[in-house]
Amino acid sequence: MSTSRSTPNARRLRWTPWLFAAPGLLLLTLFMAVPFGMAAVLSFTDQRLLTHAALPTEIVGWDNYLRLWEDDSFWAALGNNLRFVGVVVPLQTALALGLALLVNRKLRGSHLFRTVYFMPVATTMSVVAVIWSLMYSPDQGVINRLIGVLSFGSIGPQDWLRDPALVMPAVMLLSIWQGVGFQMLVFLAGLQAIPVDLYEAATLEGARPWQQFRWITLPLLRNTTIFVVVTTTIYAFQLFTQVQIIASSGAAAPVDSFRTLVMLMVHEGLRNGSIGYASALSVVFFGIVLAISMIQRLIIREEGGAA
Amino acid sequence: MKRPQIAPYLLHALLVLFFLFPLLFMGVSAFKGDEMQLLRDMGTLRAFLPVGELSLQNFRDVADRTRFDLAFWNSVGVVGLTVLLGLLVNSMLAYALARFRFPGRRWVLGAIVALIVIPFEAIAVPLLLLVNQLPWFSEGQWVQGWLDSYHVQVLPFVANAFSVYLFYQFFVALPKDLEEAAQMDGAGPWRIYWSIVLPLSKPVIATVAVLQFLARWGDLLWPVMVVRGDEHATLPLAMQTFFGQFPRQWGDVMAFALLATLPTLLVFLVFQRWFVRSVISSAIKG
Amino acid sequence: MSRSAHRSRSALRLSRLALVAAALLGSVGTACAQTVVSMWVHAGAGPEAKAYSEAVAAFNQSHKDVRIDLVRLPEGSYNDQVNAAALAHKLPCLLDFDGPNVYNYAWTQKIIALDGFPELKRIAETEMLPSLRRQGTYNQQIYSLGQFDSGLALWGQRKWLKKIGARIPTQVGEAWTLAEFEDVLRKLKAAGVAFPLDMKLNYGMGEWFTYGFSPIVQSLGGDLIDRQSLKTAQGSLNGPEAVKALSLLQGWARSGWINPATRDDSDFIQGRSALSYVGHWVHADYRKALGDDLVLIPMPKFGTRAVTGAGSWNFGISADCKAPREAAAVLAHLMSPEEIGRVTQANGAIPGTRTALARNRNYSAGGPLAIYAEQIQQGVALVRPATPAYPVITTAFSEAVNNVLAGSDPKKELDRAARRIDQAIKDNKGYPALR
Repeated sequence: MSTSRSTPNARRLRWTPWLFAAPGLLLLTLFMAVPFGMAAVLSFTDQRLLTHAALPTEIVGWDNYLRLWEDDSFWAALGNNLRFVGVVVPLQTALALGLALLVNRKLRGSHLFRTVYFMPVATTMSVVAVIWSLMYSPDQGVINRLIGVLSFGSIGPQDWLRDPALVMPAVMLLSIWQGVGFQMLVFLAGLQAIPVDLYEAATLEGARPWQQFRWITLPLLRNTTIFVVVTTTIYAFQLFTQVQIIASSGAAAPVDSFRTLVMLMVHEGLRNGSIGYASALSVVFFGIVLAISMIQRLIIREEGGAA
Repeated sequence: MKRPQIAPYLLHALLVLFFLFPLLFMGVSAFKGDEMQLLRDMGTLRAFLPVGELSLQNFRDVADRTRFDLAFWNSVGVVGLTVLLGLLVNSMLAYALARFRFPGRRWVLGAIVALIVIPFEAIAVPLLLLVNQLPWFSEGQWVQGWLDSYHVQVLPFVANAFSVYLFYQFFVALPKDLEEAAQMDGAGPWRIYWSIVLPLSKPVIATVAVLQFLARWGDLLWPVMVVRGDEHATLPLAMQTFFGQFPRQWGDVMAFALLATLPTLLVFLVFQRWFVRSVISSAIKG
Repeated sequence: MSRSAHRSRSALRLSRLALVAAALLGSVGTACAQTVVSMWVHAGAGPEAKAYSEAVAAFNQSHKDVRIDLVRLPEGSYNDQVNAAALAHKLPCLLDFDGPNVYNYAWTQKIIALDGFPELKRIAETEMLPSLRRQGTYNQQIYSLGQFDSGLALWGQRKWLKKIGARIPTQVGEAWTLAEFEDVLRKLKAAGVAFPLDMKLNYGMGEWFTYGFSPIVQSLGGDLIDRQSLKTAQGSLNGPEAVKALSLLQGWARSGWINPATRDDSDFIQGRSALSYVGHWVHADYRKALGDDLVLIPMPKFGTRAVTGAGSWNFGISADCKAPREAAAVLAHLMSPEEIGRVTQANGAIPGTRTALARNRNYSAGGPLAIYAEQIQQGVALVRPATPAYPVITTAFSEAVNNVLAGSDPKKELDRAARRIDQAIKDNKGYPALR
């Protein structure tokens, strides 16, 4: 758009983007950037949640970060998050694509099925976690009954929420159950954007369904897949509600076997009152997740749209 | 005529069971008035069947022990306002980023994408300190601090980096012809945005609205920190009444959860048809 | 603008002025007549909440110069809500908090000392139970008053105990030893009880694990922290005595005597357990379900002496309060025998003053809950450590207990807990007593 710089119209056009952006930028700065900046600054201090007025907050430099490095619980939480992301992202994405493909076929009642698969997404996570924690009960839980029936009694009842090896898989199942419906819709939108003629032409040339899937569907779903993968990764790192509910609904597995980074943030910050330490954890968390999302985007280069 | 395929229907049937059974459990338990019976049923198939003594006792408990109606309308108001304002504010910001070349644009975009990563829990305490210092005009004068109010639950969440990103991706992919034509005709930027771009953005508006609604409806951490008592409390906070003293009344919890979940299901039902329909229509047009 | 428009504008302005003036006068009028005391109380959904509502309503009826504005907060998120309010200087005049949290609020100056209020000082020194006085004292000053104390002992089903031929102690002096206790559990298990001892593990990680299970540690000679210096948990929390205590718990889980996987609150009532290790708050439910078959057994002597838990929710006055004298008057009223009677009737706790205790039939000699009173009077009940580090202590210990029940090594868990506590004490420079 080339306009002379001195006309009133041109001047107005120069201010326009800022006017559009102003409310959003103001709110984002005030309510996200500033608090995060405060957290970053606090990470270099020994700030406590509640403390004596005469005990000042002191700068401790890198102490909090060093403590984090030596904290077993931090590494355990990081491991839990990485394990969770490593399993849930591919599994949930694949499942979502599968469901989208299934729902996309011209079957009677497809939109009914679509609605049902989305219903878990519309349920609040805390409610979902409470219901599943009841279902995971070893002696009275439905899950164990179901597994017993399906395996003809060969697999006995497991203590899902107290066995350190089983607690994360249990959380993964419940998270996938809750989240896959939304990703299914995203994939569905992507699928419906693919022109039908492409498939017709391919069928005419004798291409089988699997080939059509591999050479038409997948490539054209590239941007959608990237979106799904990156957002699922970010949500997966922010895992908190489900594991917090498990920790507070009865005796659980050793806490380090399922505590996530965000849960550690809340425990150290709000419960133990070590705001400085929790802030250091936030900064490190931010760094790790940002790095991973950027790496993901670099590996699968996006097509179209500004990077 | 092709043979009707049973396999996909069978698959659908299994999937429907898988996705529904916990919700069935919640729905059915809400109507079981006898707590002991509920617990006894838990390990069997009866957990999913409305058998035994059914009653509205749990719902009566919810009405007696919590101010469900107040919390419900608070939730609707707070979340609705956040979402509506958010649609406006976030789409405007994304539009500026997508359509205008202004200095610093790349930096702003990069910063917004980075903000997506930050979980709320990381900024909860600094935000509390900040919000306690901000002024507000109430009852004819300036007061300090935003606690125990509606605006403290709305304003910090109106602008959302992920929503901006979704809008941005959509606008960038939107063909510019209609906008350029309108510009030739002398329409101002606001006019173009409001009358042309937004109506074309129905799919992304629906997506952002649903996502934000779901995210805000179940938020508990922030209300716990900034709201006390029943006046401004939303549903998740009101539900906490049942979590605390033992023995937990699971029937009451399920009844509350059922009542609290129905609106979100409704919102989704409305929006998903709009969403998918608008995606289909734009695909055909495109 | 036209003259008529001017006139109507002035008229509007005048009438607005009049309204404002009236409102101001009106509010000044009521301010002269009434002081509002804001009060927060933790409350679940039950009779306790109702009792507080009634107490406040009765007070407001009878007092025209002071009005209580009661807000009931759900117990689940209570501590978080109070902490956030403390951070924002928005605490109410009068609020309650669970037991040993009082020291942290006192040290961070969120609540004020009560010695300056003669009526409260009198109640604390002459009326209140000694255990509650110890609970409410920090730095030799009184910071809180408690309407009631808690009781912790064993509930039993008489018919099962008779069936295995166990001796049923009726007084604190006759308590079981560890060997006897484990023998009873063994016999109950052999007689067919699924999980002989119900330890309310369904309550989950939280204050219960500390309140309920630190007495076992203390009975064996360990403690949550070194009470002399209150500066370190090394040696007390991770010494051999504490390790033995948690190993006991782990052993009971392995032998199948307790069920850590339970999520069901009704194990005891349903007969899956014959003994229930829990406090006074279940009394009403248990009595209703089991009637005369229910018996209260004093806390066993796991080590050389018997130790049981003490302390409960207590009230303090916040530093944000603009009307501390009136708040003190309200608190004094809450400590009257009638009010204590009202709330303990609802929640079954031990009345917190001598007068109220004497009036409660349950706790007099021979009463069903007499053992609780005995445990307090004979010094079996031990208050939790009086240190501002308590919130960290309880999180660390209850996490250790949770992990041990899931199979972790007790020594490792207790070492970690002790390290965490010491770190917190260091972070706060040892919680110095500053003025």
